[in-house]
Amino acid sequence: MKYVDEFRDPGKARTLFEKIEELAAQVTRPDGRPLQIMEVCGGHTHSIFRYGLEGMLPKSIELVHGPGCPVCVLPMGRVDDCVALAEAPGVIFTTFGDAMRVPGSRKSLMQAKADGADVRMVYSPLDALALARAHPDREVVFFALGFETTMPSTALTVLEAAAEGIDNFSVFCNHITIIPTIKAILDSPDLRVDGFLGPGHVSMVIGNAPYDFIAAHYGRPVVVSGFEPLDIVQSIWMLMKQFAEGRCDVENQYSRIVPEAGNNGALSAVAQVFELREFFEWRGLGSIDHSGVRLRPAFARFDAEQKFAVPQVKIADPKACQCGEVLKGVIKPRHCKLFGNACTPENPMGALMVSSEGACAAYYNYGRFEPVSGDAEASAELAEAEA
Amino acid sequence: MSADSKLEALYPFLYGKKQDAVAMEAALRESVQRKAAASIEAKRGFFEAHGGEVVKAAEAIAGVYRNKGRLFTMGNGGSSCDAAHIAVEFEHPVTAGRPALPAENLGADIAMMTAVGNDVGFDHVYLRRLEAHAQAGDGLIGISTSGNSGNLLAAFEKAKATGLVTIGLAGMQGGDMMRRGLVDHCLVVSSDSIHRIQECHVAIYHILWDLVHTLLADDRGGLPRAPVELAGGQQQ
Repeated sequence: MKYVDEFRDPGKARTLFEKIEELAAQVTRPDGRPLQIMEVCGGHTHSIFRYGLEGMLPKSIELVHGPGCPVCVLPMGRVDDCVALAEAPGVIFTTFGDAMRVPGSRKSLMQAKADGADVRMVYSPLDALALARAHPDREVVFFALGFETTMPSTALTVLEAAAEGIDNFSVFCNHITIIPTIKAILDSPDLRVDGFLGPGHVSMVIGNAPYDFIAAHYGRPVVVSGFEPLDIVQSIWMLMKQFAEGRCDVENQYSRIVPEAGNNGALSAVAQVFELREFFEWRGLGSIDHSGVRLRPAFARFDAEQKFAVPQVKIADPKACQCGEVLKGVIKPRHCKLFGNACTPENPMGALMVSSEGACAAYYNYGRFEPVSGDAEASAELAEAEA
Repeated sequence: MSADSKLEALYPFLYGKKQDAVAMEAALRESVQRKAAASIEAKRGFFEAHGGEVVKAAEAIAGVYRNKGRLFTMGNGGSSCDAAHIAVEFEHPVTAGRPALPAENLGADIAMMTAVGNDVGFDHVYLRRLEAHAQAGDGLIGISTSGNSGNLLAAFEKAKATGLVTIGLAGMQGGDMMRRGLVDHCLVVSSDSIHRIQECHVAIYHILWDLVHTLLADDRGGLPRAPVELAGGQQQ
C-alpha cells in the first residue's frame, strides 16, 4: 500500500538506525545525560510503542512523551461538565469514542450512558449535525475535542449549521492549541528537552512557520514528522544530523502531507469561528495562556457553554495519580505507583491510561514494564542489576 | 485574511501581538466578577454548612486562654503567611479594649526551620518547636489547603500526645488531617481551588479571633475584676 509499505521497510529501518548510532557517537551532552527528544502527538506515542522504536535507539537518545493526547490533558472537571450536559433533559451528547471512558469525579460518559443518558459515539462533528437534523425536537451537543487538527472540522460544521439555520445543535468546545503549550514546556524549569518531533497532523493545518520560534528563540531543532515507523526514525535521524552539524532549524520530514504554509481553507474556518480563551486548564500542566479556543460571540447560539448551565468545577486529580508528571516527561508511566495495579486499561484511574494514545496505555499495551535501552534511568537500573 | 493574520489570531505571542485593549479590559472585568462571585459563594457555602463548627473552635481557643495557655500556629507557603497573620491578630489586636493574647507562629524562626529541615527533615520543623515550647492546655492551629502537609500532620500528632487543643483549617476533602482524626476541630473548605480555599481561611480566622474575644469578654462581665482604688486611698 502506497505510503505504508515503503515506510515500514525493515531494511531501510536498519540502515537508518545504523546512521543514528553513528551520529549518536558524535553527539554527547556535556553533562553526560542522554539527548531528550520530545514528541507532542499521541499518534507518535502510539507508533513509537507499537513498533518498539524506543528500544532500537542507542542509550544516548531518550524519547520523552509530551502532552500530545487531547483526551489525556482534559481536566476531570471538564469531563464532569460533559456528564452534566449529557444528563440534561432532551440532550443527545455526541463524542469521539476515546473520550467516552475518561473518568470524571463521579462517572465517565460511558457510565452516564449506562445510567440512561443519551450519549452517542460519532466519527465527525458532521455526524452530530446529521443527528440534529434528524431529531429537531432534541438538543444535540458535540464534544469538540482535539488540537488544531480537529478544529477545522468543528469550525466548518458550525458554519454549515449556521448556513442551514439549525438551532438544536451546539458545541462544547474543548479545543486546545499545541504551540503555546510547547512554549510553556520550554519555559518550564523542570524540563530539559533537546529537540522536538513536530506533530504531523497539526502541521498539516498550521504549516511549519509556527515552530520557527522554537529554533530561533529557544535553540531547539524541530522536525515535523509523519506517523509510520520510518517517518519517525527518519525524523530522529534528521534531528541527530542537526545536533551533529551544530544546526538548529525547523525541518519537514512529512512533506508528502504537510504544506509549508499550512491549509488556508482550514485556517480561514478556524479564524472565522473561534477566538482565543485567555487561558485554558491542562491536566497535569495547570493553566496555559491562550492555549484554548471558544466560539466567537457571532456563533454564541452554537456554544453549549452559553446554552446550558455547565458546572465548570475544578476537580483535583486523585492524589496518587501521576498523569501530570508523566505528561511533562518527568517520570515514565511504569514509575507511577498506580501503573499496572490500581490503574489498568480495564480500570483507568487517569486519562493517560484511558486513551489509546496515552503514554500509560501505550506502555501497558505494548508491555513496557521493564526498562528499554532508550530510558536513561532504566539504563542505570539495568547496569546496577547486572553488576 | 492572509495566512499570517490567521496564524496571528491563533498564536498572537508569535507576532508580538497583544490583545485588543478594549476587548482585554472587558475580558478582565468579566474575569474579576466571575472570580469574586466564586469567592463569595465559597465563603457563603462554607459558613452556611459549618458555622456551628467555627463557634466550637472559637470556644476551644477561648478555653486555651482562660487556662492561661498559649496559641501556636503553623502552615506552609501561603498558609504560613496565614499562620503569621493569625499570630499578629491575637498579639496585636486592632480593636480597642481587646487584650493582646499570646500567639506564636512556629514558622517565624528561619534559623530553626533551616536547622531542623536540614539536619533532621522538613517533616520535623514544627514538632521540634512544639517539643521545646508547648505544654498541655496550649492550642495549635494548623493550616493546609490539601490537608496533607507532612510537617503539619507530624506536629498535630505531637500536639495530641502532649495534650494541646488542636484546630485544623483545610481545603478540598480535608486530606489526612480530616481522615486521620488528628485534630479536635477540622474546618474544611470544600473547594478544589487553592485561592478560594485560602480566601475562606482568612475569613475563618478573622471570625475566630472575633468570637474568641467575644467569649473572653463575656467571662470578664464587662467590668474589671481587680479592685479599683478610689480617690482618697479607699478601695471599692
